[in-house]
Amino acid sequence: MRTLSDEALLAGLSSADPDATAAFVDRFQRRVYGMALSVLRDRQAAEEAAQEAFVRAWRHASTYDPRKGTVAAWLLMIARNVSISLLPSHRPYPVDPEVMLGLQDPEPSQDRDGQLAPVSEPIRKALMRLPAEQRQALVLAVFYGYTAREVSELGGLPVGTVKTRIRAALMRLRSELGVSDER
Amino acid sequence: MNGEMSCEQFRELAPELAIEIADGQERDTALRHAATCPSCRQLVSELSTVVDDLLLLAPSHEPPPGFASRVVARISPPTARRRRAARPAARPVPEGRRWLRRLAVAASIVAALAVGAGAVYQSTASDRRLAASYREVLGQGHGSFFAAAPLRGPTGTVGTVFGYQGRPSWLFATVHLPNPGLQHFHVQLVTRGGRHVAAGSAVLGGTWDSWGAQIPMDLTQVTELRFIAADGQTTMVAYLNTNGPWGSG
Repeated sequence: MRTLSDEALLAGLSSADPDATAAFVDRFQRRVYGMALSVLRDRQAAEEAAQEAFVRAWRHASTYDPRKGTVAAWLLMIARNVSISLLPSHRPYPVDPEVMLGLQDPEPSQDRDGQLAPVSEPIRKALMRLPAEQRQALVLAVFYGYTAREVSELGGLPVGTVKTRIRAALMRLRSELGVSDER
Repeated sequence: MNGEMSCEQFRELAPELAIEIADGQERDTALRHAATCPSCRQLVSELSTVVDDLLLLAPSHEPPPGFASRVVARISPPTARRRRAARPAARPVPEGRRWLRRLAVAASIVAALAVGAGAVYQSTASDRRLAASYREVLGQGHGSFFAAAPLRGPTGTVGTVFGYQGRPSWLFATVHLPNPGLQHFHVQLVTRGGRHVAAGSAVLGGTWDSWGAQIPMDLTQVTELRFIAADGQTTMVAYLNTNGPWGSG
């Protein structure tokens, strides 16, 4: 089962096959729970969010389009959105994004399966090369779902400035990583 | 941001669209623009790829003990869980045979890719809608799958039997008898264990007729539905493949 592709396991999950479901959850549970815990910073709430993310993945598996990205990214976006929806309306100021992502670690922690390293290392380095204010605005938006207005309120900045920072950061990453729409 | 959006305006908003933090009105306007502008669609798609890669930076964390079991319990249909629970305790599989188990599991996954929800990846939008609708219907009735099989009489196919695995499970048959007169049948189920279980009676006749009933067991246990005429001869029979989409029984 460990040799099956992420897409094949997702197909099994969509049919609620117990073996495929168990394998799918086993493959992604650390990332999904890690995402939820990073956003919510509460173990009980993170478990609730992570469980709900898997249930939504099962229910909405038919919407996954492999041309638009990997299963892992699709699932993590679900986990992020569920986690954000569970945040209290007056959500706490998130932990330092750089600490949360371990960007300052000389040796980033790897997923147990070692699957993250090939993808994450180039973007981690590219993210570190961004100006700090751009990096922080981008991470707050991507991982915490903060809108430009919310980031501006957090930092006491004009909305336009935040929008510019987010746009500049993402455009620069796209350029540095040479992303083309060929997936 | 009312009305139409220019490419320049779209480019300014594209990062927020890719991150999914744009507000609803802006998003709707932008999507209308993207629908008619390939280069803007390309831009937001590329930025979405960057966002996907960023998400993979989220730190992994070991969930609490039992997490996976709790997720599986929320997802797997009750019947599948019962079948799983009823399996004998796993015995060590000799090394030389482990590949057989892996092959069987892989084959079931491949089959799922070819049919049903597995068609997610190649199917048309209408297929995906159908699959979603199918799951929704099953979810409404606490079901896990439908089955169908031809009902055969002495001269060939005389109807169709439909089965539903749920709480409760049921069977329904449409029948077309050549003889217009009414006929009385005993209805009988044959189980996987070879047991014969009475399922009531049916009076069928005319041109098209039908019979249906809840059944006192999981559909997965039924291998045959028989209509037995008064003389004791099996008049019509349907052989049901009720393993379900993932069954192995």
